[in-house]
Amino acid sequence: MECAELLQYLSEYIDNNLDEELTAEAQAHLATCANCKVVLDTTQQTIFLYKQQEPRKIPARRRRRLFNQLQDAFLKRPESS
Amino acid sequence: MIDERDLIAALRQKDPHAFATLFDAYSDKLFGLAVGLLHDEDEAEGVVQEAFLRLFEGLDKFEGRSRLGTWLYRVAYNASIDRLRKRRPTRPLADELDAGDDSLPMPAIFTDWSSAPEPLFASAEAHAELERAVARLPESLRAVFILREMEGLSTTETAEVLGINTGAVKVRLHRARLLLREHLSGYFAERVAAGGN
Repeated sequence: MECAELLQYLSEYIDNNLDEELTAEAQAHLATCANCKVVLDTTQQTIFLYKQQEPRKIPARRRRRLFNQLQDAFLKRPESS
Repeated sequence: MIDERDLIAALRQKDPHAFATLFDAYSDKLFGLAVGLLHDEDEAEGVVQEAFLRLFEGLDKFEGRSRLGTWLYRVAYNASIDRLRKRRPTRPLADELDAGDDSLPMPAIFTDWSSAPEPLFASAEAHAELERAVARLPESLRAVFILREMEGLSTTETAEVLGINTGAVKVRLHRARLLLREHLSGYFAERVAAGGN
């Protein structure tokens, strides 16, 4: 496997979606190519940093207002038959 | 874990607790997607409102072929894209421009910052940089990245929300990851080289 191919399969490799043969080829390439190893490690760290982020929340005042408006609309809707 | 069938049945009966459960389960998630795409909290609030109102209107016809969350995400995504189009009606979205482009972003920075000291990643400045990096992605890649990596939807659910096939989700996620890696490498490599946090 060469660098271009490794790059193409990188996400599948990270997500453990490659078959055994391609995984072995990717591992063999990574063992000898320092640049591809850096790309792998920093891509994994990139994914980790985003997964670790606190989920975004609606600011409290905005949330209260939205809740009240939607609750009104919900309660005013016609009853299901 | 919410039992969706019970929740939908209670919503049809106008149960206020069911409404509160629905709102608590999905409002922040829809807001996160909409802010991520629009970068405007007022517009994102409008998107959340639209998604819930559309659900209330369609409750009696909701057949449960999609999960409730997927359905709401899809409405919120489409409403966000409509708003983006209205903002710049004469310019195609980046999504449309790169629709046929399968080329991968080539890595150009090979500094290993992955095992830098934790405080470097935990700073407010680093968090702002993470946000900036996502904001710079084309909309099509950004939507996939937010749904898959930040909201934790599966590839199939993401495909359903965006109305694309699972192969396209995988390609877009891969491109988004490489672009973000490159952006963050520029930021973190500089700080690692400076030896500080």
